Amino acid sequence: MIPAYYEFANTAKVLSGEGAIENIPFELRNLRCERVLVVTNKDLRRLGYADIVLSALADGKIEVGAVFDDVPVDSSVEVVNEVARVFGEQRCDGLVAVGGGSVLDTAKGVRIVLSAGGEDLMELRGADRLIGRFLTPLVAVPTTAGTGSEVTGVAVIKDTERHVKMAFASFNLVPDVAVLDPRMTAGLPPRLTASTGMDALTHAVEAFSCRQANPLSDGYARAAIDLVRGYLPRAVENGRDTQARLAMANAALLAGVSFSNAMVGIVHAMGHACGGAANVPHGDAMAVLLPHGMKFNLASAGDRYAELLLHLAGSETFAATPKAERAEAAIEAVRALLASLHESVGQPVTLAECGITSEQLPEIARAAAVDGAISMNPRFASADEILEVLKAAL
Amino acid sequence: MAADVDVGPGPLRAMKRVLAAIVFWVLGRGLVAACRVDSRVRKEVATWPDGTVVTLEIAPGGPSTTVRLENGRLTALGGGRPVPATLLVTFKNVDGAFPVLLGMKSVLQSFVEHRASLSGDVGLGISLVRCLHIVEGYLFPDIMTRRILPAKAQRRVSHVHAYLALLTPTAELTTKGARS
Ligand SMILES: [Fe+2]
Repeated sequence: MIPAYYEFANTAKVLSGEGAIENIPFELRNLRCERVLVVTNKDLRRLGYADIVLSALADGKIEVGAVFDDVPVDSSVEVVNEVARVFGEQRCDGLVAVGGGSVLDTAKGVRIVLSAGGEDLMELRGADRLIGRFLTPLVAVPTTAGTGSEVTGVAVIKDTERHVKMAFASFNLVPDVAVLDPRMTAGLPPRLTASTGMDALTHAVEAFSCRQANPLSDGYARAAIDLVRGYLPRAVENGRDTQARLAMANAALLAGVSFSNAMVGIVHAMGHACGGAANVPHGDAMAVLLPHGMKFNLASAGDRYAELLLHLAGSETFAATPKAERAEAAIEAVRALLASLHESVGQPVTLAECGITSEQLPEIARAAAVDGAISMNPRFASADEILEVLKAAL
Repeated sequence: MAADVDVGPGPLRAMKRVLAAIVFWVLGRGLVAACRVDSRVRKEVATWPDGTVVTLEIAPGGPSTTVRLENGRLTALGGGRPVPATLLVTFKNVDGAFPVLLGMKSVLQSFVEHRASLSGDVGLGISLVRCLHIVEGYLFPDIMTRRILPAKAQRRVSHVHAYLALLTPTAELTTKGARS
């Protein structure tokens, strides 16, 4: 498949492997940073993950102007402004973010604030908007293997006063360096390993089949799915399996590059709505909804799913499955993976298990029908059609 | 040194700009007209914050069209960006905008191809895209829109009725007579 026209960017330098964190000082010097602000959260500090990075910075003679460990679960404009204030006060020249999606979103928000120089963040919302802005260097150290935020150019920040979620999308927002070190995800509980892994898988499958897919994003998606197939069950079974942890961190990054360029569709639209209406954790919603979203898209994206069977089920199954049955078999492969995770760690397979009731479905369907992700879905989906998909997933 | 490479036909591009200005004029009016005659557009626009100013433009400094929602009334303000936009869609160049303006490519597809940037609330931008798809369904015949729109255009009134509505540059969101 070759689109008539597409754009693609992946500007993050990737450090992957044990000891990657010890190379952060070299990368910071390369970015001309001498005094950094470390952004993280209380839990990561308490559990010692932030310390791994802090000691590497000390060893590498990089000054730490301040450690901001007060990032809440949802990144808000107040926190972003506060971090930016500390950054200026401490005369820092670079950002090191250690954490999951909200920590990385906060750091991206800080970059926007610092480049805005007093301008209202609200004025900078949009897509492809931050033109010609040279953003503060950012090194991203993810502590989950799922969001791919370390390589995406998207940040969502809550304006608590105006009650809106501000969305920023720009290739300029992609962190300069993404650091994947298996030590950072070694302690992730099995259940969370499973759901974040399913989020990464969903990124890859949706990116591969959405409107903006292109040969470059396809390559990343295929590689991501291969790694999920080979290593997600292993990482869930034994968190100390360093190879499996590193592979899943890579899978999440690869899927992140893919969807940052090719976008996501109906599964994410429904998942965002489930999160908004019933606080369903993102990964759980993805795991439950992925096979259902694929089934809905079969008419438009069947050929694409057929190609994915190779990566979802491996070459033997792919070769043994007649061409006409491959798309359905791809969905079955996703169901099989989910079923095995249900068996091993109790990963939910229905929305009901996630605490959603049938009364909530119409509201969720309406929210999903106007979610940004729905416009990139390969098949048009009305609120009524989404409701049917949700009912099947209940 | 004579250039061996065709650097692009200047006069053709100038013509494209003139035509773009005309289509933009129709598109601005078209959005307002669709708001009068089509309940789906009216519902979308009703979710926009009052004071919303939408501008579509071609960079750099090319033709543009602006509509404003004020006191529940959507008004086409024409070109020249008379008021600052709260939602700004900027096509990166006239060649990228042209297929969209001629109904050969959907607005959504132009975003997919990064041919336009969006300044403002992304959710509002997506609502605008949905409206413009409906407007395109009125402006262009099925044979064109079938290829580019996410779903078959469902018209609530005829092309002729919609074209007549173009003559009035304002629409009240609460208009009783509007058909749905
Ligand atoms: Fe996701």
